[in-house]
Amino acid sequence: MNKMEGQAPSPLPDQVLENVLETVLHFLSSRRDRNAASLVCKSWYRAEALTRSELFIGNCYAVSPRRATARFPRVRSLTIKGKPRFADFDLMPLNWGAHFTPWAQALAQSYPSLRRLHLKRMSLTDRDLTLLSLSFPHFQDLLLTCCEAFTTTGLAAIAANCRLLRVLDLAECVVEVADEEVDWISSFPETQEETHLESLVFDCVECPVNFQALERLVARSPSLRKLRLNRYVSMSQLHRLMHRAPQLTHLGTGSFSASELDPEPDYASAFAASKSLVCLSGFREIWPDYLPAIYPACANLTSLNFSYADINAHQLKSVIRHCHKLQTFWVLDSISDEGLQAVAETCKDLRELRVFPVNTREEIEGPVSEVGFEAISRGCRKLQSILFFCQRMTNAAVVAMSNNCPDLVVFRLCIIGQYRPDPETLEPMDEGFGAIVMNCKKLTRLAVSGLLTDRAFGYIGTYGKLIRTLSVAFAGDTDLGLKYVLEGCPNLQKLEIRDSPFGDGALRSGLHHFYNMRFLWMSSCKLTRQACQEVARRLPHLVLEVINSEEGKADDIEILYMYRSLDRPRDDAPKVVTILH
Amino acid sequence: MSEIDMAVIKPEMMKPYVWLQTSDDSIQQVEQEIAMFCPLICQEIIQKGMGSSKNCAICLPQQVSPAMLSLILDYCRFHQVPGRSNKERKSYDEKFVRIDTERLCELTSAADSLQLKPLVDLTSRALARIIEGKSPEEIRDIFHLPDDLTEEEKLEPLRNITADPRIRLLNRLYAKKRKELKERERILKLKKSMWMNVQLMTFCLLLMEMKENFVAEPKGVKTSKNKKKNRRKKEQQKNSSSKETSELDKKEVNGHDIRHQSSEAERISESSYLHYAEDGTSTPKSDDGDIYDGIDPALKEKIDREVEDFARRLNSDWPERMQELLSSGQDRKTLLFNTDGFLRRHA
Repeated sequence: MNKMEGQAPSPLPDQVLENVLETVLHFLSSRRDRNAASLVCKSWYRAEALTRSELFIGNCYAVSPRRATARFPRVRSLTIKGKPRFADFDLMPLNWGAHFTPWAQALAQSYPSLRRLHLKRMSLTDRDLTLLSLSFPHFQDLLLTCCEAFTTTGLAAIAANCRLLRVLDLAECVVEVADEEVDWISSFPETQEETHLESLVFDCVECPVNFQALERLVARSPSLRKLRLNRYVSMSQLHRLMHRAPQLTHLGTGSFSASELDPEPDYASAFAASKSLVCLSGFREIWPDYLPAIYPACANLTSLNFSYADINAHQLKSVIRHCHKLQTFWVLDSISDEGLQAVAETCKDLRELRVFPVNTREEIEGPVSEVGFEAISRGCRKLQSILFFCQRMTNAAVVAMSNNCPDLVVFRLCIIGQYRPDPETLEPMDEGFGAIVMNCKKLTRLAVSGLLTDRAFGYIGTYGKLIRTLSVAFAGDTDLGLKYVLEGCPNLQKLEIRDSPFGDGALRSGLHHFYNMRFLWMSSCKLTRQACQEVARRLPHLVLEVINSEEGKADDIEILYMYRSLDRPRDDAPKVVTILH
Repeated sequence: MSEIDMAVIKPEMMKPYVWLQTSDDSIQQVEQEIAMFCPLICQEIIQKGMGSSKNCAICLPQQVSPAMLSLILDYCRFHQVPGRSNKERKSYDEKFVRIDTERLCELTSAADSLQLKPLVDLTSRALARIIEGKSPEEIRDIFHLPDDLTEEEKLEPLRNITADPRIRLLNRLYAKKRKELKERERILKLKKSMWMNVQLMTFCLLLMEMKENFVAEPKGVKTSKNKKKNRRKKEQQKNSSSKETSELDKKEVNGHDIRHQSSEAERISESSYLHYAEDGTSTPKSDDGDIYDGIDPALKEKIDREVEDFARRLNSDWPERMQELLSSGQDRKTLLFNTDGFLRRHA
């Protein structure tokens, strides 16, 4: 190769890398790494945009569909989150937003190779689902978590048109029944000898399904591993399905009750035959007498969801004593402290525990308390994630957990009732939560409750350096509390506060950090419109939504929902929402 | 390729050695069996019959220096032995990529040019592991990359982003052209200023000579001085080009202080939105003025026109079905919130 005279010097390192940059970036999968790579320099930005195949959008209003599809042209998997979590507690108005339609249209136009879509707290219509089903010939996975506004008609479209469908997961969606009940299970084409289905989760669909069609579907789905039935599937029907699909790994049992009085088949043998089962859920209308049927499967279970099963301690014990490998356990507080103690004795490998209340009234005694809580902390040392509802809790128990379970990443303690102090010492719950943030050095998610002073927030600000999500309700004394958190927690991304005395001064103290956050929610606090206006003026990339229960009254701030956005504020908000910018 | 096949195609191919020319123009002899592991070399031998002698040595791509070739051949030499276990191969690979980052980049590039995919994947993965967990500043440091994104761009860069390979190629050519033109302009400027200096110097010297003693002809003096001039110019070029690139990069940054977007809200509030055309095409606007410094305006116009042309041709047509579906109006259902205190189980 002859070199010309006076040629430029040997290529700079960035030029060398540029030839193979796309290949290198293909091996970068975590979105944090990809975001870092995209900010390195112009050529890396371009290469990263072209190679990103999994796109995560934490807030559907942070970026417009057009901008997202323009920057990332080769996306195959997309996750979008809509409403903030507090929307689950009826704190948001009807028709607030998070409409999927504009996204559906943009995706249909830009991503013909889309394979996977995961939506959380979005509002999507039957038309959106139909558009999806017709636009993506390679579509495989549809996961909808806490979504709404669609009916079984939309599901039928997905079933009928997505020939390569592998995953259809509906988790806690509100699925309205269509005017004429649509038999969506029958919409899976019967002409297809074998489906590609690996996961079919429809336990939240509140209408009966055509069982014969379902059985035929399961029979011709050899790849099926996850099946979660709704409560309209009886015990005997479950039995038949289990025999059709002994290869299942995740099973949602449907109602777990019988409607007929016919002689019953041997349910236990069905569970014994399903040797691959590792996850059991369902039990929507449980007849506890049937519980022994699951004993043969218990030894292999790593995940058990009893959060719809109203069972007592005795009934639980009979099951849990077999579950040595259990890592995830969701349950109702009906099992009481005694049940929790049984869990602590057997489930030494437990990583995640969620205890939900049967009864959310404050004045009752409550079946679970600091006793069961502390027992868990002593028995389950590997605990990483806990969500615990109770009517009573002591600082000592919380401190004990902070010492016994240092691996905690998620700590959510919900003491039902407002401003509840430690019932033993009558002190605020500051020390307990303080110990958690001090001792659990990996903590990223925290939910606090009970009587809390600014001191608790001081602890959080001082020690909670890794915290990304914080939930606060009925807590704090002054603006200082929120100030400590906003100034002390550099990784804070999601902050949801209700009924706490934080005002304008506290809001202003976060100005340096708001662009780093996904959102801030403050409802029934002490904010004024002027302060919000000021924030909006100083930080133009923030959208401040002021939501009032009555239209037009935007002087009092009932709800402030604030988030960063790269585009102009949305135009699909209802009248009760005023957008400051 | 079995040995028998090779013998049937060309008797010369039974020779155990093949001649390869690397980027520094040096030619070396390499065991043919090993070299054939690289698809590009394989192609050259079989399809073009090259490499059988020093005279028809296979010209390797310019990314392959002798050092890189040596590494690549080591890799091929190890892996072409059939009897090795997966564990052995994996262990060798892990050790193989434990080299400094700069050489790793070069190696990836060289392997890529020879189309040796397994090695490209191996080295790319190693580079990806280096990038993992690092901040943009750290990555820039490691790979000696310019910090050329503006503050606004770091918030959300908006440029000609399309997947069309034609546009990407055009962007690359555009960038290359830009660089070439800048280089040319720089050299021209340099030549001009040097020539001015030389003129001045020669004049002064002449004056001095004339003043003192009338020794040699002005021409003779000039030519020897010219030779020195040229040598000095070449050296200066080499030294100044790397300096000037970094200076240029600084210029391209709109004079903003480069800091991470998380600092000072006031700074961000002062910046304006970048332009973004409603029809989806993006054409360079006035805030790009700094990038166009020094480029011949006629050429700039030509390139702009080409980009616009491509962008227009890229607008895809909607399938008819979609049009029907979408034109039949919005149909949003209002939803009654359930207020029965039902607690969501999932987060």
